[in-house]
Amino acid sequence: MARRGTPSVALVTQTFWPQGDFVSAADGMPSLPRVQLPHPVAGSGVEAMTRVANDVADEIIAYLRGDA
Amino acid sequence: MTLIDAANEADALEWMHANGCTDGLPVVIPTAERVDRMVLASGLDGQLSLGAMGPGNGETTIEAVATNAVMAGCLPDYMPVVLAAVQAVLQPKFDLAEMQGTTHSTAPLMIVGGPIAQPLGLASSFGALGPGHRANASIGRALRLAMMNIGGARPGESDMALLGHPGKFSFCMAEDTSASPWEPVHETFGHTAEESSVIVVGAEAPHSCIFVDDADSPESPQRLLKTIAATIANLGSNNAHFRRGVVTVALNVDHAAVLGRSGISRKDAQEAIMGYAVNPRSVLRELNPTYAGKGDGADLIRAVASPDDVLIFVAGGAGLYSSVFPSWAAGANANSAVSQAISIDLSCEIPA
Repeated sequence: MARRGTPSVALVTQTFWPQGDFVSAADGMPSLPRVQLPHPVAGSGVEAMTRVANDVADEIIAYLRGDA
Repeated sequence: MTLIDAANEADALEWMHANGCTDGLPVVIPTAERVDRMVLASGLDGQLSLGAMGPGNGETTIEAVATNAVMAGCLPDYMPVVLAAVQAVLQPKFDLAEMQGTTHSTAPLMIVGGPIAQPLGLASSFGALGPGHRANASIGRALRLAMMNIGGARPGESDMALLGHPGKFSFCMAEDTSASPWEPVHETFGHTAEESSVIVVGAEAPHSCIFVDDADSPESPQRLLKTIAATIANLGSNNAHFRRGVVTVALNVDHAAVLGRSGISRKDAQEAIMGYAVNPRSVLRELNPTYAGKGDGADLIRAVASPDDVLIFVAGGAGLYSSVFPSWAAGANANSAVSQAISIDLSCEIPA
């Protein structure tokens, strides 16, 4: 999507951040916008997920608008 | 090729371990002479590229493949099989980059078929996936080393398997066509019986499947198929919850005979297994609601989406146990099996 010019941001948990480094570099997009989430997010419950969403929403929007 | 300068092979081995070039076990040092011999055995130009291998997108040259084949302990005669396996996993349908990066414990299982298996000593009977068979062990290991050194898979960085399984060291066997009641399995992939080929499929470690025949009972063949299906539909497997992906079944020779004496074709067996491999939605929902979907709890949910997704063939010694290999069941192509003809037209015999 990013290659096609679609505003994109990858949400990656802390545990998988090194894999994101590897894959983005291997695919020639080391500066691909990424936002780090705590780990785990899946199954962490509505309250925890809401807190995470509130914490990163502005950063995601900034990337998608091209402001970051 | 990266050339390293070491005083001796012991130092070179330590350098390779320290730089993440091995699978943790000792390797044969890929000296220029050894690699040249392996390239020569391929009959191809060492700089010829088969494409980029993910997730690291390393260039898969013949020389790079040969280097890993040397490291794995392959004889030059094994090179055509190693090359075919590499070509197989590079097929886009195999989703190699995604498979290398998944958290699931999947590894490429190689099933070699056709006339090349016997002269190479590829085992298909007792302990075919265990230790003691040089061709099986080194050919499977060559693919794994290529996936690490060309594809860039490193545990915890680009290979995110939470635990992995021992088949990630080596996972290669031949089909036992002599004991099979059916046509060679590679014919179902469009190859001829005279052709040699390798089928590669992402697979978990084998799950043992016990079945005791009763030749006096007409129900015996269906009991066997139900037992296999129950192992496939096990409620911890991805197949049960994702309802897709290829599942591999290695029928031992005695179990193959049970189906053979009943005139059950491979197609019949595949369809029966698909039909029996079900779980009530209520049970799936109770254990893993994320994937259970909406619908009536009494619905019977298939673990296998199509008869063709049951990859069944004969391998293993005589006895009570066949093996089921569940799959990752994910990726854009749902963990498809792929096949590749083994080209021996270009290969040449290397003098000792």
